[in-house]
Amino acid sequence: MVRVRRRPAFRSLLLAFLITGGCGPADSVRENVSHELTAELRGTRLANPIQRPHFSLIDTEGVDFDFHVRTEGYATLLFFGYTHCPDVCPIHMANIAAALDRVGWQTRRRVKVVFVTTDPDRDTPERIRQWLDRFDPAFVGLRGSIEEVAAVQEELNLPPSIIPSEPATGYEVGHAAQVLAFSPSGTATVAYPFGTRQADWVHDLPLLVATHDEEALAH
Amino acid sequence: MAWDWTWRPYVGVWVVVLLMMAGYAKLARDAGGWREVGWRAVAFVTGLGVIWVALDWPIGALAAGYLASVHMVQFLLVGLIAPVLLLLGVPERAFASLQRWSTLHSVLSRVTQPLVAIVGFNAILVFTHWPTVVDALMGSQAGSFTIDMLWLFGGTLFWWPLVAPVPTRPGFTYPLKLAYLIANTILSTAPFLYLTFSQLPVYATYELAPPVGWMTKQQDQQLAGILMKIGGGLILWTAITVLFFRWYRAEGEP
Repeated sequence: MVRVRRRPAFRSLLLAFLITGGCGPADSVRENVSHELTAELRGTRLANPIQRPHFSLIDTEGVDFDFHVRTEGYATLLFFGYTHCPDVCPIHMANIAAALDRVGWQTRRRVKVVFVTTDPDRDTPERIRQWLDRFDPAFVGLRGSIEEVAAVQEELNLPPSIIPSEPATGYEVGHAAQVLAFSPSGTATVAYPFGTRQADWVHDLPLLVATHDEEALAH
Repeated sequence: MAWDWTWRPYVGVWVVVLLMMAGYAKLARDAGGWREVGWRAVAFVTGLGVIWVALDWPIGALAAGYLASVHMVQFLLVGLIAPVLLLLGVPERAFASLQRWSTLHSVLSRVTQPLVAIVGFNAILVFTHWPTVVDALMGSQAGSFTIDMLWLFGGTLFWWPLVAPVPTRPGFTYPLKLAYLIANTILSTAPFLYLTFSQLPVYATYELAPPVGWMTKQQDQQLAGILMKIGGGLILWTAITVLFFRWYRAEGEP
């Protein structure tokens, strides 16, 4: 008698378990990242477009890297930072790397990311390589003297980096926070300030790559 | 600012916890003293402890601007675990005294109707996890505090029909209570799916935060979604189990 009275409870619990246990992720819920290729770039427009600069620095393999030659035909993201940077640099690098994972191979293979250290004392080639590999092994790391890097920054209308005159342990380096984006044909018309999100990169990278095709067709 | 493990005092949290403790001490005195209150005092103090742990350093600091997953742990602690413990801790005499305030009792009767309570809780859950809202509020201490208080309010609303003896709801039987809890496990699936399966980070607050540990922003967000589903589910299914055995025992009684 008692057993009969208890059955509804067991039945309810079993039913509940089956209902909730049956709930799982549905494919239909997955978002499709759409690239509106015809839309405007989300980066900040530069008042004066910048031509791809001529400079050479040493890469993490110890080889001379001629920026103008080696980035020709690629959409190139150029960023000045340092590996001990607590926030801006790793966030930019991580977001670009994550976006490159999303945009597909056709876009990814036509994008180069070049990181130039503003802290050559601490950023050895090995350290730069190790740091960049955390984000994407394809990222290029460059190193030069403070003067060489300052000259490149000046050419690009970027403020020079500020290194403390008497560096204490764990010092921070002031540097420009934006990523310059050069089209495959060599003109930077937009920059990406700190705060650029992965969604913005996913949106803009195919457009940056596509500008080359549009320009090629126009010619 | 990069995350570091240097302790920082969260005085505001201590003040809130101490004020709640002082309020409870008065309730306990009115109910005949600490001995009279007994296990309820343990429940209340544990609930306060949960709030303190959730809002103080390091969870409070990590949740405010570094990791979405820790933000979710904070939600589970403040929005689901603390409210039930606090409600269990309130002396019955204090609940009974609510009946003397007719307007308050009337409002409570309406607001804590199970359907209103579950809809209210889930509306707060969705609102406080909506990317625009999170990014707008988490940038300031006042905004972050608002989210915490909304969670505490929402959680109290959710558990009230199950735990509080006032207002009495004889129609809210054990099967309905179980259905109420089970319905909530299903309703919370939507934000879980959104967080776990979004292909890009949804919160600028955490996407643009200095990195902490080895997780990518995407993994942090996925962990947040999984914690919401599994952590929340664990809490709700614990309650379901307790209620089920109470029902079982009640049916066995002559």
